[in-house]
Amino acid sequence: MSKRDRDVRMSLQTLKVLEAFLENPTDELSGADVLQRCRLASGTLYPILLRLESAGWFVSRWESIDPSSAGRPRRRFYRLTPTGLRRASEVFAGFGRGVLA
Amino acid sequence: MTSERAWDWVDGIAHRLIHRAARRAPDSLSDRLEEEWLADLASQRGSIQRLRFALGCCWATNVIAHEHALAALPVAGSTAGQGHFIHAHRDDSPFFTGRTITFVLVALLHAALLYGLAMGLGPQIRKIIVGPLTTRIIEPPPRSTSLSVPRATMSSSRIILPPQDRIPPIEPDPPDMIKGAVGEPVQPKFPPPLANVVNRVQGGPGIGFPSTDDFYPDASIRLEEKGLVTVQVCVDGRGRLTSEPTIVQSTGSSRLEEGALRLAKAGSGHYRATTEDGRPVDSCYPFRIRFDLRNR
Repeated sequence: MSKRDRDVRMSLQTLKVLEAFLENPTDELSGADVLQRCRLASGTLYPILLRLESAGWFVSRWESIDPSSAGRPRRRFYRLTPTGLRRASEVFAGFGRGVLA
Repeated sequence: MTSERAWDWVDGIAHRLIHRAARRAPDSLSDRLEEEWLADLASQRGSIQRLRFALGCCWATNVIAHEHALAALPVAGSTAGQGHFIHAHRDDSPFFTGRTITFVLVALLHAALLYGLAMGLGPQIRKIIVGPLTTRIIEPPPRSTSLSVPRATMSSSRIILPPQDRIPPIEPDPPDMIKGAVGEPVQPKFPPPLANVVNRVQGGPGIGFPSTDDFYPDASIRLEEKGLVTVQVCVDGRGRLTSEPTIVQSTGSSRLEEGALRLAKAGSGHYRATTEDGRPVDSCYPFRIRFDLRNR
């Protein structure tokens, strides 16, 4: 486990975000998508997304559109990395074993 | 201001809040967060939801800036968004808790009240709530113009003098006896008859005595007050009062007592004088006046 992994604090809100991504690990979700699924406040969600991205659990990319032609800003999509998927699975498995309870 | 313009105004505030929040974010993240948040803002339904989202972004900026300041390594931005070293040492306490929303609502309510008071809306609201003051005049029920027309039920509404052992039975009441007054046994409060009087006939209300209805107080009628009032009067040989009548006993209200006194005063000159051996003499005696709405 790297130092960055250890720095990710597993709060209830963080677990909700991870759970949303684990429903279908290959999906890319924008912040608005996660807000809708987790019922979190934006002030809570975006720091978590940046934190998990910094820890290497997520990667993000811009939506592949031209903002000027689309008439709206690009969305930012987040996706679980293989490391993030493994770590998130371990976290939830740990809950099942009562390790992190 | 129409409601549509009001919501546009709210949306404008939301956009400005996001611009402001993004500018306060670390420089390496400012542009990214602004575009990302503006895109996600457009996904929110409703102006209130968008305003709430923008306020949350302001809070997120504080958290991100705080964590960025605590980062051991500088943030290295990339198009992939990797390489950020933001360590999580801060609680993910939700900004919009129920307490926060309540506080905001209370603050907005106070602001609205102050605005309304400053704009002079208070009197208008009071007019809407209370409504204009109206004065309702209650017309008194029509009175009978006949002062002394006896009714079929007058047997229960006559003035009967107190029984006296030594006085022969009272003569039948004249037909113009006041109506609405019922005589009932009155405790003897007048001096006992003199021993040398052979035949004494107590006086009482006589011909032309005013009707009780004419002195039934309007307030008592509205309040449906009724009762018996015993009035003591002193009358000379010609049926006129020689002193102010007084209340001896009352089962009614003070209004009825006042009406009884006015009736007794108005009847001066219409009292039957007490007779002794057929001669009218000065005397004092009580009589009862009944105020009863059934007789009206």
